[in-house]
Amino acid sequence: MALLTLQGISKRYRQGELEVNALADINLTVEEGEFAALVGPSGSGKTTLLNIIGGLDSPTQGTTQLNGTDITTLKEAQLSDFRLFQLGFVFQSYNLVPVLSALENVELVMVLQGRHKNECHERAEHYLELVGLKDVVHRRPTALSGGQQQRVAVARALAAGPRLVLADEPTANLDSENATALLDIMHTLSHEEKTTFIFSTHDPRVMDRAERIITLQDGKIVSDERHHHEHKV
Amino acid sequence: MENISQASVLSRLPILIFVAWRNIWRNPVRSILTISALASGLVMVILYASLLEGMTRQMVRFATEISTSHIQVHRQAYIDDQDIYATMPWSYLEKIEQDFPGIKITPRLYAAGLASSKNTSTGVLIKAVNPKRETAVTKMLEHVRHGKLDLGIADTTENGFPRYNLVIGAQLAKNMNVEPGDELVLVTQAADGSIGNALYRVAAVLKPLEPNFDRMGVLMSIEAYQQLMYLENGFHELAIKVDDMTQLESIQAAIVEKLNKLNSIQALDKLGGKPVVRNWRQLNPAVADLLELSKAFVFIIGFIIISLASLGMLNTMLMAVYERTHEFGILLAIGMKRRWLLLMVLFESFFLSLVSAIVGSVIGLIINNYFEEHGIDFSQSMPDGYDWAGMIFEPVMKGYLEPVDLGYACLMMMVVTMLASLIPSWQTIRLKPAEVMR
Repeated sequence: MALLTLQGISKRYRQGELEVNALADINLTVEEGEFAALVGPSGSGKTTLLNIIGGLDSPTQGTTQLNGTDITTLKEAQLSDFRLFQLGFVFQSYNLVPVLSALENVELVMVLQGRHKNECHERAEHYLELVGLKDVVHRRPTALSGGQQQRVAVARALAAGPRLVLADEPTANLDSENATALLDIMHTLSHEEKTTFIFSTHDPRVMDRAERIITLQDGKIVSDERHHHEHKV
Repeated sequence: MENISQASVLSRLPILIFVAWRNIWRNPVRSILTISALASGLVMVILYASLLEGMTRQMVRFATEISTSHIQVHRQAYIDDQDIYATMPWSYLEKIEQDFPGIKITPRLYAAGLASSKNTSTGVLIKAVNPKRETAVTKMLEHVRHGKLDLGIADTTENGFPRYNLVIGAQLAKNMNVEPGDELVLVTQAADGSIGNALYRVAAVLKPLEPNFDRMGVLMSIEAYQQLMYLENGFHELAIKVDDMTQLESIQAAIVEKLNKLNSIQALDKLGGKPVVRNWRQLNPAVADLLELSKAFVFIIGFIIISLASLGMLNTMLMAVYERTHEFGILLAIGMKRRWLLLMVLFESFFLSLVSAIVGSVIGLIINNYFEEHGIDFSQSMPDGYDWAGMIFEPVMKGYLEPVDLGYACLMMMVVTMLASLIPSWQTIRLKPAEVMR
């Protein structure tokens, strides 16, 4: 059974006098455990599509089903719960709450989920260790490099136990070394944790790592290719 | 997800409080400035309330301790027309004193007259007291500016009549150019219709206590009064000091009852009317009204000061919310509910106002402590105090802070600042994560 099914998704919005077709009739199915990249030039609709999948934006037309739930019919509070329990997010930058340490940032989502304090702490430490940040768990974001901050965001997204992780240009602000390291971590954890990753990018380094590349242009899917990569453990 | 409890606000309070507390120290300079503004406002309110309460207490003290005392009894005709024949018999004094051990009483007599010194003459108000009793009831006789308080016999005239001492008001002494030791002639219409006149010696000049007495008051002993006025069968006024002010009204009611009983046993003449018992609030309605007004003043002025200070808070929170819209978007995206976010921002405002309340209270109490101990001293420019609303105040303005007033000031500050913070907090609710993260 498909984890994510998008049917006839369109998104139109007004920009001044103009009506912009951000997405047009998107049909997409993503299976559990996939490591998929949404690629395409700027303005092709990658972020809009990710926002719709994440329930941060609503489509003008079409349905988005995650694990059998049509999220386009959910109310605001239900959408919050949906994001809290089913999704993990990694954004391009400024992902973390600056007044919390790396450990507290990872714990935050789990605390909001209502998990027990000890469980939150153990899981946060575990995932920070997995992303290689065992020694900096008490540092605040300002004391971490860009790459480290993104790794904390990945740990935060995964520690909460989501079905799907959405990452919007996660490597856009990283140098090659950090970008590669982050992708390796995401790829490895995707397989180890059996977590589905969908990330948007126009970074060739990221595309190379993706097992599936969905190319968007002018709000439409123009290609959908699957690649096979051996992941590093 | 199935095993995890659905999100309720209560269980998330600790993390919201924790993050809010951290957030207020995110920009320490701005938070400290906001706290300083709010705390300064609170300090001003505390000091204003303290000084006004100090003035009010001084006013009440002057209204009760200096001359009026807590309760007074007069006959109706004396109240209406200052009828000098409207007296109460001396036996009333003894019987009331016997029945009410928890009070101190002193009789007084009054008359109008003409005083003449070497240089000038002026109308005066003659007040006769029993110095020993008066001292137990009021502090009027303690406020001597010049001379020595003595209402006894100064010397004897050539005819063998005693010549009494007088005490007069400061302004009267100045107007008549009289000093302690000088002679003063009083002329009045005695109770028997004759012209009563006598020569007195000024023993002392009193400090300004109440404007009327200061300008035209002449104080003498009851014996001197009786000799001048030929009025021996009673007194005009009974001033009563109550040991326990909380019992004021019940004692007043009991005295009314006692007087009715006395009247039924020893009936008073009808012309003078019934005895009327009034407490200090009824005797000084202007002071009582001012007391009520002062509370309203504290509230209004406090509200204005705190509201102005809260604008700083409003600005801080608006800036904080504006700067953090992206971060709020992230929090909403990762599943934080809007009401949690609203609560978190409200907690930030709450902590700012709480810290301000603590800082303001501590500083306010320290300054207030100084004002209670030393006050603001105007004695250089106003050695005799100042006259306000028909009352004379001491030249040293001292503060007095009721703990409940401090509590109200803090509560008012916190309520006003929380109300001000609703505007920025409400903005967080309307954020659209997809838009703010763009």
